[in-house]
Amino acid sequence: MTNSPTTSGLSAESVARLRRTAPALVLLVALVVATLLQPGAGALRLASPDRSHVDQLRQAIGDLPSDALVLIACDADLGTYPEIRAATRAAIEDLGAHGARLAIVSFTPEGRAIAAAERDRIARSASGEPPADLGFTAGAEAGLVRSVTSIVPAAADGPIFDAIRQRGGGIGAFDMVLIVSGSDISARSWVEQVGSRLPDLAMITIAPTFLDPELEPYLRSGQLLGLLATLRESTAYADAIASASPADRGPGITPLPMLVGMLAALAALAEAASRRLARRVGRPPRRRTS
Amino acid sequence: MNGFMASDLAGTLATWVAALATIAVWSYLVGYRRLFVLAQHLLAGLATGYLVLLAIHDVLLPRLVTPLIEHPRDHLLLVPALALVGLLVGASWLPRRATAPVGAILVGGLAAFALGGAVVGTILPQIAAALPATTAASSDLAGEVISLGITTLVLLAFLHGAPRGGLTVRAAAVGRWLLIGGIGGWLGFLLVSRLSLVVDRLAFLLGDWLTVLR
Repeated sequence: MTNSPTTSGLSAESVARLRRTAPALVLLVALVVATLLQPGAGALRLASPDRSHVDQLRQAIGDLPSDALVLIACDADLGTYPEIRAATRAAIEDLGAHGARLAIVSFTPEGRAIAAAERDRIARSASGEPPADLGFTAGAEAGLVRSVTSIVPAAADGPIFDAIRQRGGGIGAFDMVLIVSGSDISARSWVEQVGSRLPDLAMITIAPTFLDPELEPYLRSGQLLGLLATLRESTAYADAIASASPADRGPGITPLPMLVGMLAALAALAEAASRRLARRVGRPPRRRTS
Repeated sequence: MNGFMASDLAGTLATWVAALATIAVWSYLVGYRRLFVLAQHLLAGLATGYLVLLAIHDVLLPRLVTPLIEHPRDHLLLVPALALVGLLVGASWLPRRATAPVGAILVGGLAAFALGGAVVGTILPQIAAALPATTAASSDLAGEVISLGITTLVLLAFLHGAPRGGLTVRAAAVGRWLLIGGIGGWLGFLLVSRLSLVVDRLAFLLGDWLTVLR
């Protein structure tokens, strides 16, 4: 009789379900409380004390010539973009503050959706001109290779498009590419397909954390001039730009709920380890076979 | 506020839809599968519709149909391309001998791009960057030696079959632990990454939707 009502009126199945879901619900409530308490938690900081990656990126942007043409390659994933959203917006603002002329292109459908939303946001905020829209290029890596020689849509009209056409009409027309990486097209694709064809092109990237191990070697070898690929680096960069110009980029990822989540993860890990240890202690020793 | 939604009626509507979709997905946590499945179907339908629109609006019309109609003589290569697309579309009822070469060209082209890029863009430059420079400082050389040692140990852990000999077995075990440590570190990064996504969604619900967070 699994469905028989208990004394409190709940069936045994409901109680079992509640027990199963209780940890997730408690964690969710704790995260909500931590998010609400956030404004008073000034003592916590998320940014990394190691600012070398931030400094590298800022230097790469700072070294741009005046009136530089910069391409934003927006190929982020919808699922991981919130992690790098603040850094991406800060980078666009940083580039704008250095007088760069921006154009935006996407090689993935998800990236195109994000690019269109970001252009809309910039147009609404009236903080500056949105980047010139180069649209969506199909074909993934094959599209990247084609764009090396031709990236401007035939119907595109405007001063930035004219400037790109005067310099050859391909990716080589740009002084720098800011790659907003995702899982399908990341900075690795750019290094492999575009970097090998245009070795003098400066490339910087902002990537979600899971791409960090893949992209770090390209930074070490100099194939990328800048890389922000962890949450703390993105936060440190957004903070650095915010201190220079206090524009509203929306709330970043706040530290207190992150701390609560990490403590919960550590607690789950410790509980699993202790359970495993207890099982091992209780198990009879193995007999050696000769 | 994530800044994506405008403050007009359309923006408000979009915020409500996004909030309800978030709650529908999270309902899985308390065991309500129906709402979660509904959200999955919504996502699949919207993604398919979006992809179709994108393909028609950004690819087929401007890059295939319009050039062929307006300047057919300047785009003669698009005619065989169109024929290849037709062959792929009709692959289910055309003979295999007609469709196999098209698929082979497609797969071969993609593989050539990927392989060529990996060799020229990654393997060769990374090998060049990993070689110790003749003027390297002793700390750099020590780093190279440590890297070489760790790489050897990890490769030993991948040896096919059971490693033989006490020293090899121990070295392979050390390599395995190094590998586990590396994967653990990466998973730790991933945990922080995913946690940040949950926190962002909460900030959206509390800030954009309920407006209790400013």
